[in-house]
Amino acid sequence: MISIKRFVYEPGEHELEKASNSYVMSLVAIIGGLPFPIINLIATLAFYVGNRKGTYYVRWHCMQALLSQFSVFLVNTVGFWWTISVILGYESISNQYIAYLFTILLFNAAEFLGTIFTAIKARKGVHVEWWFYGDLTNLICKP
Amino acid sequence: MRKLIIQGTGMVAVFLFTWFALSEVNWMSIFKVEKLTKATEEKLGKTIWDWFNHSEKEIKDSEIFNTVDSLLTRVCASNDIYRDQVELHIVSNAEVNAFALPGNHLVLYSGLINSAENESELSGVIAHELAHIEMEHVMKKLVKEVGLSVLISMSTGNSGGEIVKEAAKLLSSTAYDRKLEKEADLRAVDYLINAGIEPIHFANFLSRLSETQPDIETHLEWISTHPESQRRADYINSYREGKPLEEVPVLANGTWMRLKEYLNNLDDNF
Repeated sequence: MISIKRFVYEPGEHELEKASNSYVMSLVAIIGGLPFPIINLIATLAFYVGNRKGTYYVRWHCMQALLSQFSVFLVNTVGFWWTISVILGYESISNQYIAYLFTILLFNAAEFLGTIFTAIKARKGVHVEWWFYGDLTNLICKP
Repeated sequence: MRKLIIQGTGMVAVFLFTWFALSEVNWMSIFKVEKLTKATEEKLGKTIWDWFNHSEKEIKDSEIFNTVDSLLTRVCASNDIYRDQVELHIVSNAEVNAFALPGNHLVLYSGLINSAENESELSGVIAHELAHIEMEHVMKKLVKEVGLSVLISMSTGNSGGEIVKEAAKLLSSTAYDRKLEKEADLRAVDYLINAGIEPIHFANFLSRLSETQPDIETHLEWISTHPESQRRADYINSYREGKPLEEVPVLANGTWMRLKEYLNNLDDNF
């Protein structure tokens, strides 16, 4: 799911901190934004926009953090509105609903751990590419 | 690009597979969701019924109760509904009204029983309210209108009398939405046919009361809370068409008339 690769150049100290912060940003957002999934995405997007003129290494990691946040945002949004429907009485609690909550919990936990791991590695200058998101980032983010 | 599509599809597949696999676990039973919901509903129903019981006079006369109960029992028994789970209350009130409360309370006003011309008409109303209970419309309506948190505080006895009064009024004098009413009407037709009771009488009851509505509007609560009665009578009739039915009388000869007499005597005494 996660692979360590060599980046196209050796990033400098100032880049490492910013690249690492792009993941820390999404971590803080996960903690604060769990009930409101849009917060995660907005926080990461704001950090990406703030660094869109940064170096390639920083932009690359901001983009990977943003893309991974986007899919978590989608599944969390479904869970959020499903829960609202249950609270308002449009839907009732079912095995499918509870299973969905556990599924997104697992995916959020995986995302959370992956993010911590990548933030630490990025700070040390180790380039980490995630399964699917790494290749997608390579496709979108160019030097 | 191809690798990316495969990876993306794989990720979606892993998500869906996890969801599907977890859905196979009976979480409802593990977390005792149904038990908890049922307990909350029962407490809520008791709270609301207690409020009614203070302001209304319940008829406990065995002649009256047993006759109405035999109609309810027939509908329940023919449709695999456990009779003892339903609490029947007959209230002495001239309003033509009937409604269901949480916790399977079925409330019939004496005014409605008096307005029915025969046992089949009354069975139709009973079947309709029973359908609301069985299809969990009562809680859906309450959650939608009052809010889940308020209902939970009501069931734990932490809410004021005003909220209980509001919930009681909501259930006794406002309609369910059109979709739920139609669902309950059509389910009632099925219940009646299974019970060997002609549903056309139920349609006639709606039709007749909708015609007389302008004269005695204030007493026709059940009709005013169930709008478009003629339209409902029409779709009940068309839904009933083509369904084979072998009518089986519920009450012995003369029992219905005796029920009316008992009710009239009670009205005189109150």
